[in-house]
Amino acid sequence: MAQKAHAGEGVATAEATTTAMLGWAVLLDDLLARRLLVLSGKGGVGKSLMGTALAVAAQRRGKRVLLVEVDTPPVAEASRFLGASPVGGEERELRPNLLAVNLDPPRVMDDYVRHVVRADFLARRVLDSPIYHRFFAAAPGLPELMVLGKIMTLEDARAGWGRKPRYDLIVLDAPATGHGLSFLKVPQTAVETAPVGPIGANARRVLSLLRDPERTALVVVAVPEEMAVVEALEFHRQATEQVGMSARAVLLNACHERRFSKAQEAEVLRLTAEGASGRLAGGVELEAALAAARHLVRRERMTRFYERRLRRALDLPLVSLPFLFKEEVGPDEVDLLADRLEAA
Amino acid sequence: MKGPAAVLAQALAERSILVVCGAGGVGKTTAAAALAVQAAVSGRRVLVCTIDPSRRLATSLGLQKLPDRPRRLDLRTAAPGAAGEAWAMTLDTKRTFDALVERHAKSDEARDRILQNRFYQKVSAALAGSHEYMAMEKLLELSADERFDLVVLDTPPTRHALDFLEAPGRLMGFLDTSVLRWFLKPYFVAGRLTLKVATRTGAMAMKLVDKYLGLQFLQDLSEFFLAFEGMYDGFKERAAAVHALLRDPATGFVLVASPARVAVDEALYFHQRLREAEMPFVATIVNRVHGAGGTAPRRGRRAGKGARADVDAALARALLEAHEDLSRLARAEEKVIERLEDQTDEPLLRLPELEGDVHDLRGLVVVADMMFGGAPAANAPRRKAR
Repeated sequence: MAQKAHAGEGVATAEATTTAMLGWAVLLDDLLARRLLVLSGKGGVGKSLMGTALAVAAQRRGKRVLLVEVDTPPVAEASRFLGASPVGGEERELRPNLLAVNLDPPRVMDDYVRHVVRADFLARRVLDSPIYHRFFAAAPGLPELMVLGKIMTLEDARAGWGRKPRYDLIVLDAPATGHGLSFLKVPQTAVETAPVGPIGANARRVLSLLRDPERTALVVVAVPEEMAVVEALEFHRQATEQVGMSARAVLLNACHERRFSKAQEAEVLRLTAEGASGRLAGGVELEAALAAARHLVRRERMTRFYERRLRRALDLPLVSLPFLFKEEVGPDEVDLLADRLEAA
Repeated sequence: MKGPAAVLAQALAERSILVVCGAGGVGKTTAAAALAVQAAVSGRRVLVCTIDPSRRLATSLGLQKLPDRPRRLDLRTAAPGAAGEAWAMTLDTKRTFDALVERHAKSDEARDRILQNRFYQKVSAALAGSHEYMAMEKLLELSADERFDLVVLDTPPTRHALDFLEAPGRLMGFLDTSVLRWFLKPYFVAGRLTLKVATRTGAMAMKLVDKYLGLQFLQDLSEFFLAFEGMYDGFKERAAAVHALLRDPATGFVLVASPARVAVDEALYFHQRLREAEMPFVATIVNRVHGAGGTAPRRGRRAGKGARADVDAALARALLEAHEDLSRLARAEEKVIERLEDQTDEPLLRLPELEGDVHDLRGLVVVADMMFGGAPAANAPRRKAR
């Protein structure tokens, strides 16, 4: 009952104002109701981690989720975040109803050849030939198109008698911006380059999946830093204008929260200016603690600044996720981030 | 100056090419630009060149858009004492590719055939590896440019540093018409379809292409390769020149990493590949290290006269917590960095996490000072957020 009232309230708000004002709980439900989430942003902003947290949030809602990474085999970060050994080209269940797969483009191509050429010995001959390797490995956009085609197939896949989708939600950790956009631009280029024939038809189907706001949503990932934010804005513009995708949310990773009151911040500055020295409990030098405090205060200000800038520039809901003071991220941190996603 | 900073400074003074590489998102562009600024400060005429779909260097230099030809940076405000010159440019992959075609086409007609080919127009900039290949091509051209003593190349933002070494080879393989000739040409002799190909595997592959890529695509593709015929030798020559240039003792590789396990794993792998390929290595820069500068927890000294009375209990608690959070992070990072240091056995420079962003020349000067011992980290940029 309470939930219903809440949802109703959300709808009323949506009518009155912009989407950015909607209650986040409603928006998260709405976001996770897509079939495909595409995450993108500058390299190093934590796309894999954000994707994993979104997948966990969806799994907690009882959905069957597939987390897709596009990478060469040794990396597969998502599985490591969930405490598992790196996944490969086969979908593997990491938590109940949360599966992951790492689509290595050359392997997807090989699988495709095997699928097309039914006879095993013929497939092997094709795969072993130097022409195949030289040509298909570097053919412009073909590996990307194959990977996107594979994701489309996964979205199409049905299971059981009820013909239910095999996955309720697919979360795609797209390659870093720059390359990320060229990745998403491939279907359009393919349609233009090969307007007729099977490659064009395939690309058109991929495009219609990417452009369908009912099925697909783009999630922009950034950290509160100049270049990451500039790139996130640029990516959003290009993805909407050039690919025709619709973005639904911005995830701002590695945010610093307020630790000191205004008065305490002033006190930190005063003590610094005075050159105060001494020891705190446990023998910690006051000077070092003050330096740490200044650093964190500064980072907190940057967080607020870039939050505001992103909110102004994009009419999208923005969720800030905390900076983790850890070098290694594991299942506990992923759960914490999923909690924060749900509670935002 | 000592240790890794001295090694880097010497490279900046002596070498004529520095290739700055590393995985995406580790601060490669900033490091490359800061190295260039430092070289200019110490009297060299230096160009920093980036291939940059997202124009990141432009951001870090405070310029909205860099032209695709070298442009001199105004160092007067940021580094008034600079004895040399700093130039910057971004690389336009498509234009470099066009120029390469113009240089190597056998005739004007052959050149036009390629430049006007629909397939070429659509994909020349998108060809897998073309960013990397064109970067090498540009590097070759710039290395002969009399205006510069030193070229600092910021490599493409690949997810994997390794792509940068392998992609040019993949592109060369793709354009190798001597292989593709027998694959495609018999198929489209004078626009007439014939399934006569040299081998059964070739025929098989052909059928596959026909069935799954479509005839029109194949025709465009075929024209593209026929147009490229005869140019491959020129390309191969350039590739050989690049190969030699990268192994020249006047060239050096600087590897940039961040203090996280994934980044260090990649850096280790990349270093190993550079070594195998006999590329001259200079040093590693680990960027954004907590505790390498102003926020470093200094341990082990004996307690002074306590100023504890000056700090109220709530603030003391918050201060301790802040200090402990950053120290824990610093310890974890140091463990990974030591692994990188031990396993590469190369000079390694720790660059502290700044209090602010670096996105202008002044910021780059600060980074350069931190690398080479100008100002302490505490003087990191503290520009007011606008």
